Parts: sequence; C-alpha cells; structure tokens
Amino acid sequence: MRRRVAIVGYAQSHHQHNMQKTREDMVFEVCKGALRHAGISREDLDTVITASTDFLDGRTISSVFVGMAAGAFLKDESKVEEDGTFALYYALMRVLAGTHDIALVEAHTQGSTMNAHQVSCFTLDPQFDRQIGVLNDIAAAALQARMYMNSHGVTDEHLAMVAVKNLSNAAANPWAHRKMAKVSVEEVLGSKVLCDPVRELMMSPVSDGACAVIIASEEKAREITSKPVWIEGVGSCQEAYIRDRDLGRLESLKTAARTAYKMAGIKEPAADLDVVELSEKFAHEELMAYESLGLCREGEGKRLIEKGTTGKEGKIPVNPSGGALGADPVCATGLVRVIEAAKQIRGEAEGCQVPKVRRALAHGQFGMCAQKNMVFVLGGNGS
Amino acid sequence: MKRRNVAVIGCGQTKHSSRRRDVNVAEMVSEAVYNALEDAQVSAREVDAFVVGNMPGFGGVAQPEQWIAESLGAAGKPVLRIATGGTTGGSVGQGGYYVVASGLHDMVVAVAWEKHSDSKEAGATTGLLHVGLGNFFHAAGYGLSLKNLVATSVVGAAAGVAVYQAMFYMHRSGCGIEHFDMVAAKARRNAAKNKYAHLQWPGCTAEDIAKTDIVTYPFRYGHICPASDGASAIVVAEESLARKKAKQPAWFKGLASYTDEENQLQSENFGGVGVTDPSEQRGCWLSAVKAYRMAGIVDPKTEIDVAEIYQPFPSQELFFAERLGLFDEGTAWMALETGETEIEGRMPLDPSGGVNATNAIGSSAMQRILECALQIMGKAEEHQVPKKVRNALAHGWGGVTNYSTVTVLGDTPGR
Amino acid sequence: MGYLKDERPTTIGVEGGWNLGAYHYKGSRLLEEYVAGLKHKKLTGSFCPGCARVIVPPRNLCGRCHRKMDGRKTVSDRGTITCFVVSPPIYKGKLKVLGMDPVEIGLVKDGQVVIPVFVKFDGSDSNTDTVLLNADPKDVHIGMRVKVVWAKELQGSLADVEGVEPI
Repeated sequence: MRRRVAIVGYAQSHHQHNMQKTREDMVFEVCKGALRHAGISREDLDTVITASTDFLDGRTISSVFVGMAAGAFLKDESKVEEDGTFALYYALMRVLAGTHDIALVEAHTQGSTMNAHQVSCFTLDPQFDRQIGVLNDIAAAALQARMYMNSHGVTDEHLAMVAVKNLSNAAANPWAHRKMAKVSVEEVLGSKVLCDPVRELMMSPVSDGACAVIIASEEKAREITSKPVWIEGVGSCQEAYIRDRDLGRLESLKTAARTAYKMAGIKEPAADLDVVELSEKFAHEELMAYESLGLCREGEGKRLIEKGTTGKEGKIPVNPSGGALGADPVCATGLVRVIEAAKQIRGEAEGCQVPKVRRALAHGQFGMCAQKNMVFVLGGNGS
Repeated sequence: MKRRNVAVIGCGQTKHSSRRRDVNVAEMVSEAVYNALEDAQVSAREVDAFVVGNMPGFGGVAQPEQWIAESLGAAGKPVLRIATGGTTGGSVGQGGYYVVASGLHDMVVAVAWEKHSDSKEAGATTGLLHVGLGNFFHAAGYGLSLKNLVATSVVGAAAGVAVYQAMFYMHRSGCGIEHFDMVAAKARRNAAKNKYAHLQWPGCTAEDIAKTDIVTYPFRYGHICPASDGASAIVVAEESLARKKAKQPAWFKGLASYTDEENQLQSENFGGVGVTDPSEQRGCWLSAVKAYRMAGIVDPKTEIDVAEIYQPFPSQELFFAERLGLFDEGTAWMALETGETEIEGRMPLDPSGGVNATNAIGSSAMQRILECALQIMGKAEEHQVPKKVRNALAHGWGGVTNYSTVTVLGDTPGR
Repeated sequence: MGYLKDERPTTIGVEGGWNLGAYHYKGSRLLEEYVAGLKHKKLTGSFCPGCARVIVPPRNLCGRCHRKMDGRKTVSDRGTITCFVVSPPIYKGKLKVLGMDPVEIGLVKDGQVVIPVFVKFDGSDSNTDTVLLNADPKDVHIGMRVKVVWAKELQGSLADVEGVEPI
C-alpha cells in the first residue's frame, strides 16, 4: 500500500428489532460516538463515506438526509450502495490516494423499514427470475446450502453447530441482537424451517442498526491514538449472477482473501490469523468461508466446527462476537465485523475478548449467496 | 505525499433517447463499456476493477450490477457501486480516479447509466418522489392539508427546487426568462452536433423556445430536460499505462464532492427545511476551490478552456458557472448575451448540449467528465471547441440541491 | 426545423408490478410539538445552542454544529417572502393530487392560480414553505411582508396554517 492507514475510532448501535429511533438519530449517535471514541471533532474530518441502499431505506438517494447526521456538512462526501466494508474500502482508497487524511465511514440499515428479504427479490434479473417468483435470498441460500452439503457430506447438524456457536457467542456481546446463551443443536434444528435446509436460527435476524469507523493516515493516526489498528491488507471481488456461477463455492471470497493475504504478507492464514470475524448471513456460509479463506482445505470446513477449532477457546476463533447470526443490520453488518476485529486487537472486546490477538480478519459481503465479498486484514502495533 | 497521476484513456457512451426499447439494461450498459474499451484499445481482460452506479428507483432493480456482472465483463473482479442521486455519474467517475490513485489497481472502468423507460411513468412513481415519501406520510399523519399538496404538486410538476432556485437567482442577478430561452436553445443546437445526445434541434433559436408554454413561471416546456435512456463509461488508468495506450490522455488534475445542507424536502427529523438559498450552492463552490487548488489553477476565468455544467434547467448553467468561478457573481447571463458561452466562444459551456438536452440521470454527471475528456483528447468531432483545450471542468449536481461533484481534467498531469 | 427523432427496433416488453406498500418509516416526535403550538397560534422553532439558529418547523439536528438542536423558540407569525412561484391556472383535468382532481373535489376553483412561497418568519433563520393567499399574482415580490392565515377552528394539525397573506 502507498501509505499506512489505521482505524482510530469506532462506534456501533445496539442492534435490535424495530429500534424506536429515526434513521437520522441512529446515524448521528454512532457518528458522534466514533468521533468521541477517537477523541477528535467533526472539523478534523476530511471526508465522509456512507453506506446504505435506496431500497432498504425506502427512499430514493438514501444518503441525502443522513449527511448532516454523519457530520458531512461541507465535507467531501460520497456514498456506496452496498455493505459498509465497501464504504471503508472507498474511504481507504481516498486516504491512500493522498487526497485525504482522516475519513469517517458510516453504514446503516433499519431492517424494520422494509423486509430485507423482499428487497432481495429486486436484485434478481427482472425479465426472468423476478417474473417466475421462485427465488429470494432465502431460497437461493437454501439451494447453495444443499449444493455445498451434498458435495462435502455436510449434515444439518453441522449447520446447527455453527448457529449454536455464534448465537451463544452473541450472548456475551452487549451490542448483538439475537443472544442465546444456552441454545442447543436440537433447538436450532427444531426452529422453523424457512426453506429446507435453512431454519430460522440458521439465518441472520434482520436488525435495525448502524455503525461508524474513523480511519486516518499514519501521521494522523499516531497523533490521534496510541493504539492504532493498521489496515494491512484488503481484497474485494464480485462473482457472476447467481445463475451464471458455481453456487457450491465462494470463489469470489477466495480471490478477495488471496489479494488481502498477499498485501498483508500472510502465507498460512490458519497460523497467521488470531481471530476471524465473518458476515455469514446463513450458517452454511461460515463453513464455506472457512475453506475460501484457507483456514482449512476444501471440504474440511465441517471438521473445524466439529473439533471446536473455531470456537471462542479454539485455535482460530471465528465470530467471537456472534457474527451476522448475532445481528444483521444489512448494510452495517460487514463494518460491524471490522469494528469487532479492531476491538479484539485493541483488547476492548469485553465479554467477547480472545487472548493475544495481533492479527484479525474481517469480512463483508453483499448480494445473494455472497456474490460480492470484501476482506480486510487488520493488525495491531505489535505485528 | 506525491499523488499518483491518473488519466481517462477511453470514453464510450450509448445513443441517448427517451425509449431504448431495442436493448435491456445489461445490453445498454455493456454497449457503453465496450465502446469505451474499444476507444481505449484495451481488452476487458486488462481491466482490474469496475466502478458502477445508477439510481435504482428508476429502473426498478436493486444493485443491478449483480445481475449484469457477466455482461459488463466484471465477474471475478472487484466492483464498487456508488450511488449519490443526481451526482451519481460524477461520483462514479471520481470513484474511478480514487481506485487507481490509491495504487490498489492500475486500470478501471467506471460506468454509469439510467433506463428511465423501464419505469412506466418515468421518474414519477418510483423515482424522485420517493426522496421524501416517508416524510410526506409522516406529515400527512399530522394533518397536512390537501390544499398545500396542490401547491407542492404545482411546483413538483416543474421539478420542485429548480423553480425556486431560478427565482432566487433571477432576483439576485437580474437575469430574465429570455436568458433561459437562450440557454435552452444553445443546448438543443449544440446537441444536434453531438450524435449521442437526445433532444437535437439543429439551428434552434431562443424564439423557438419562447413559443412553448409556461409550465410554472419562469420555466417553459422548452426549458426542461428530457428523461433519457443511456449509459456512459470511461476507462481510467495510471500514468505508464495511460501514456502507452492513449495519444492524448485526459489527466485528472483536481476533484472534490462537497455536500451542503439539504433544502426544501424534509427528512425524518424534519431536517432539510429550506434553510439556505438553494441557488447559493456552497458545496459547489467549495468543491471548485479544492479541485482548482489540486490542479494548481489560480484563475479559473482564464485557465479553464471549456466547462460541462450539469444544467437540467437552464438557470443552473448560469448560476453554477458563477459558483464555479468562471464568471463574476451575477454576470453569466451577460456573457451569454454576447455569445461567450457558445462552442466558438471564449468560455464554451456545455458544447455537448449538456443535461438540458440529454438526461439519463445516473449517467448525466458521468457524461460531463466524459465530454471534458473528449474535448481534451480532441475527439469531440462536430462539437469540438475550436481552441486548444488545456483544462476542462466537469460539474455534477444532485441530492436535494446539496450534492456537487467538480472534476478538473487537463492535457498534462498534475500542475 | 424541429427536433430530430430516430426509429429503433424494439424488444419484448415485460410488464412487472412493483409493490412498495410494505414500507414502515420511522418518524420523530417533533411534529407533535409543532402542531401542539399551532393550536395556540404559536409557531415553534428549534434553537441550536451551538450557532443560535432558529429553524421552523423544528428539526432535531444541526449539521453545522453536529449536535442536537434541543432548544425551542416561538417565532412571530409575521414574516418576509424570500421566494415565490406562480403556477399557471389550474384547470379541471390538468393536475392530479393523490389520484384526485383538485378542481373536481373543490380544493381550487377552475382556472385558479396557486402561489407557493418561502417565508422567513421574524425571529427564524429558515425558509418555511407555504402558500400565499388573498393576493394578486402581479403584486407578489421577494421581500413582501406577510402574516399567517390561521384556520377558523384550530385543531392542532398542520392544516391550522392555511397559508400567508399580505399585511
């Protein structure tokens, strides 16, 4: 990278169902919170990038009224219309370009404004799939899960184990939405079948929530904080449309991870990474992601969950915060993962803290069956 | 820190018209992308990443780049989607710059589009109205009277804020409705020389426009931009590639996109009540200041050779030209009278016909960057300005009057 | 010579509906305060302790100071027109409001002109949009002094302000 860039401040909301706050108030609180966390003021910002989508927010130009709340008044501002990690990617590029030094990234969705699963239908090919009306994101995910399970001998129990791990981890996370400390495999398997094999507890809850992250160039970061979290690697990739791709694997996540690893100098992800935060909108995506991220060989994802390797006490803890199964404010989900990863590195993760984290991976996704993926590798002062 | 030199090396757009019923979105967008790749003489395989954008409400498809990834040639590559309303195209073009300038990628395609005809009543049901729909229902719950709604509809019919903007500007500068006729006539006349433009009227005069009915004073039917279908794309590359691929690359010299306070339309918290004069446009002014500083431009009046201004309504060409520092406060209409803003004039404004002649919303602000690049590369064909173009200014405007994008392109990199 | 037009081949058109009835927006309580004031002929604005601006109707956040506008101030019901628009005459069948013809349901007379205006009420720093009543369109100008026309029966709703009229 052309210059070192660090995360210097962040804040997130209490993700929940039907938050009794307006979108603006919610955004204002997280942005103010992130500025306070970094110990800087709005005047210090050079640029503001927000993430939200028109369909989820229920208004054309979804960013237009949150600019003031995000602190963008008379600032160089822009919006990406997808997951918050892409907003972070854009902000990072602005800082790397040397045109800006301090950037605020904000992402939000109030899932209760419009059913996110209904919105997913609008991303389909309008001339064919939308007319036929068979697919939405849950149905597509179920197809993907079935393909993956079939080719690697993964059972419903494996998916339930992922849900149990994440939901019980979420119980220790004060910001999470779906917290279930004592959930069992039977309970997950017994929850409502939405689209076989996807059950209610294997799918992320649609939450209302927002989060904000502040990044800064090296010189500024060192002025702002003694605990900067460096962005060591970044990679992104988009796959072809669901009908044009191999649904049974996350090829784009693999490409994104490879790019990020190369940048960060990671050769053995399973050994080099201390914690991983994934945006798994469905339980099976976590198993697929293990393989795409190179934490294990292809088809071996189920072994990691069987052996507890990815549990909070395991060798490579994945989603100690509960991941997306714990809370899924659609556009903010990926950026929340970045925050959780940064918290682990700074030792601020409270109940979710994993010992000795020097390097963490945060993942964001967007689109049906994780069509777009973004991978960030973060590192602390020591690495 | 030294900035990376970045240039536009290829431009592609589609023919714009009110109904492109011969193509669907995927075909239309790839038409622009492949025109751009052909212009730059590069293959799709050489492109590292894509930046895309449109306003999803108009086409009725959310995140359409997911569906059309394969047609774009974007599958298996990083794709960044940027959407900021009216400035979408400008934001996407600037996104293209940042992707390359960051050093993460060396060559990207930035493409923006709109297919208005895909929604049955163009822009009416799912488009701009939706900006404030939530607030409208909110206010209706507190007894918003129907009589007030009639007033809103009357103004809304002539695209709301633009009417107020025009009134503010007329009051401030002393220009009249006849100047709007002149701007609109110039736009249609220039568009006739641009084979991709929508409303083309060879030899159109201010008198022709003046014959059309008043929609809402001070706007006539002849003043108002069309709703077009169309796409435009640029290929952006870093210095060594740019020098290899293009005889005359159009270098990004300065850019910014400052946002101002919202006007008129209201948000959930009743923010955005018309706090400021909507023709004041501080965001545009600040963007211009930053872009000029980056480009090392001290006196835009003499150093900018041609400007593409986002003017869906003719009044906007005038006050934005002033905001961008091309004319003194309140004098743009005088320059118009003396023909300074014609293609052959001292400060040609919108030689392509501008948004007033072609408005595929997502693509409109991108077209401004693209047209500036064409002028610098000398590829603008019939609407090429006769003088040597060293610096060209591309402007975009949108949101609820609060968004601006300003991009300065030049024939040499940096200062 | 008029506009140039060209013919193009067409593909198959696919008709598709777009049900947008499912939105559930979140609103603030500010309007409640505002309409409560209207019932007593009071125009309530929010006051920003950071920059001392007063905004009518009230709003929650000040973007400049990046803080909540938690103060309240009552402003005068007299003010100055800062901008206006004169509509063309509204005839039957020309305009639709919520699917209804405003002339047919008696909101405006056939051929009537509507004048939406921005008003800066004395003591406020914002332009409030409303309509100008009881005025000749020829006399309207920026800087014109106006006052609120209150409804005969105040109900504590936005309709309590019928518009403004010249002083």
